Amino acid sequence: MSRFKSVLDQGAFAVTAECGPPKGADPDVIMKKAELLKGKVDAVNVTDNQTAVVRMSSLAACVLLKRQGLDPILQAVVRDRNRIALQSDILGASALGIRNILCLSGDHQSFGNQPQALGVFDLDSIQFVQVVQRMRDQGAILGGERLSRAPDVFIGAAANPFGDPFNFRLVRLAKKVAAGADFIQTQCIYNLERFERWMAMARERGLTEKVHILGGVTPLKSAGMAKYMKKKVAGMDVPDGIIRRMDGAPAKTQAEEGLKICVETIQRLREVRGVKGVHIMAIDWEDMVGELVERAGLLPRPN
Amino acid sequence: MITAEQKPLDEIREMIAPYKRILVLGCGSCVAECAAGGEKETGMLASILRMAAKMEGREVLINEKTLERQCVKDFVILLDDIIQDYDALLSLGCGAGVQAVGDCFPEIPIIPALNTEFLGETKDQGLWLENCLGCGDCKLYHFGGICPLARCSKHLLNGPCGGSVGGKCEINPEIPCAWQLIIDRVEQQGGFERLEGIFPPKDWSKKQGLGPRRIIREDQQR
Amino acid sequence: MGSAHMNDRERLTVAFFYCRNIPESGETERQALEKEYGPSIRLFPIPCSGRLDPVHLLSALEKFADAAYLIACPEGACRYFEGNRRAGKRVERTKEMIAMIGLEPERLGMVINTKKRPKGLGVITAEILERVKSLAPSPVLKNSRVEEEKPL
Repeated sequence: MSRFKSVLDQGAFAVTAECGPPKGADPDVIMKKAELLKGKVDAVNVTDNQTAVVRMSSLAACVLLKRQGLDPILQAVVRDRNRIALQSDILGASALGIRNILCLSGDHQSFGNQPQALGVFDLDSIQFVQVVQRMRDQGAILGGERLSRAPDVFIGAAANPFGDPFNFRLVRLAKKVAAGADFIQTQCIYNLERFERWMAMARERGLTEKVHILGGVTPLKSAGMAKYMKKKVAGMDVPDGIIRRMDGAPAKTQAEEGLKICVETIQRLREVRGVKGVHIMAIDWEDMVGELVERAGLLPRPN
Repeated sequence: MITAEQKPLDEIREMIAPYKRILVLGCGSCVAECAAGGEKETGMLASILRMAAKMEGREVLINEKTLERQCVKDFVILLDDIIQDYDALLSLGCGAGVQAVGDCFPEIPIIPALNTEFLGETKDQGLWLENCLGCGDCKLYHFGGICPLARCSKHLLNGPCGGSVGGKCEINPEIPCAWQLIIDRVEQQGGFERLEGIFPPKDWSKKQGLGPRRIIREDQQR
Repeated sequence: MGSAHMNDRERLTVAFFYCRNIPESGETERQALEKEYGPSIRLFPIPCSGRLDPVHLLSALEKFADAAYLIACPEGACRYFEGNRRAGKRVERTKEMIAMIGLEPERLGMVINTKKRPKGLGVITAEILERVKSLAPSPVLKNSRVEEEKPL
């Protein structure tokens, strides 16, 4: 069974982190990241060719992490695989002992290093969640054919409270819950006010009773990074207050300021009703996750 | 309408280089509407190619003719009397036109002068937009008359991805987020809750289930 | 080859397509200009610069002209609203096309008449001839001219 699920079932505030597989066939990179994260987090998301850049397969990297004693969350995007391949991978992942799946649309292929690739998008992320849920709970694939053995997976989806149109953001969340999502990991939160508004709406619709929501955070390394995210990453909401705060810190201590902001955000997220955990996406900064978790008062992790 | 754009001149010149007697063949239908392969564009391309040949001092016969439609055999057979004068056809038809003409005259190489783009509408003078995939199973009714398959970059059927900001698509801020358009339209028509259900996976068998599609209508046959 | 032939080749032929609303562009003035310049110019009146199909510019370059120019009414003064503005964009595109086969884009152009005290056709054609006089004879016509001269 998924350790991640059992932490959430116990009612503990869960901590997940992100691990990006290498742009190569070297397993040691994964081993090193595993060492950094071991004991600091409950589960580790393994990205699936994130930003449409070719990397080691998510499933392979998940298996490597599992061997190191971590509980991996297999991220799977609908960009590269049709419904035949997606369902097949779910069965394979379960057979290999991967117990968590995060169903995503994926970044558009035009963003990555294979812009000439065909984007598949046969299913969308919500349909994908529903397909996995039926495989698990009804033991059947799309179309109704029975499986010899159903996959045993904890099903997740992403949510972006900061995209537009705001009135539809909750509809998307509700659809994902209705489709069978067990947990939700959100886009990086910098605008807590807007996030809290979104959570209030989620509570109003009773969604927080049905799904575990983990707030996403990304520590800022520099004022430049903050500005880049605000300007260049669609659907990323970095308020001016954060930019000013990063700008106000001397270059040498900007990283420290970014960590402080992140710790404060985590602490505030713990106070938001319905938030069941935090998902730390430390971009190229995995070695800082342990310290971040410690400073946020989230150590030790439950067994 | 089927839209198209003229290929780069260099590519066209490279393809016609081996031939000495070329008929530049326009099409008066869709590609004329999108100003890519109608009579005017055919005349211009033929003129440019003749000038290029003259500058190189090459003796090449380049004539032009525009058919009402290249994709309908009844029009293509109008070439029967002149085709023997040529050793290549340069077609400004869409991909369907090029193939229909090619099938009528299999002995003569046919060269495409256009890149066929999409099924779309003339939104404004000089602006054409893709808005139909020809999927064989129209679901526009459910989406306020705006197709998420053709107009959302990720073909999402259950709402906008997280990259929809200010009504724009994350992959190209020049294009509107199809889902913003759908939501606005459906809201305006008072059916927001219609979008709250989970829309099932698309049945692609209607598009590619049995290979290239054909339509047979006995009542229309000879 | 004699020097007469060289002179012949060095004399450029320019095609002018002009809007009939340009001052002093009536039949009498046209004949006078043709008499003055002889084969150096060819004049084509059109109802509005916006009616000019770029294929006419190309045709002129292909068949006889070293340069082809469109003369349009001043901005805001087009009888057909904005025919002149649209014509400008089409001329630009046609220039790009000839550039792709290695012809100087200056062989094509559009001149918009001045708003204040609009110039007559004679003045404008003289100005354009001055502008294009540095162009070499068109490489498109090079071979056909030789051919034409063979019988002589």
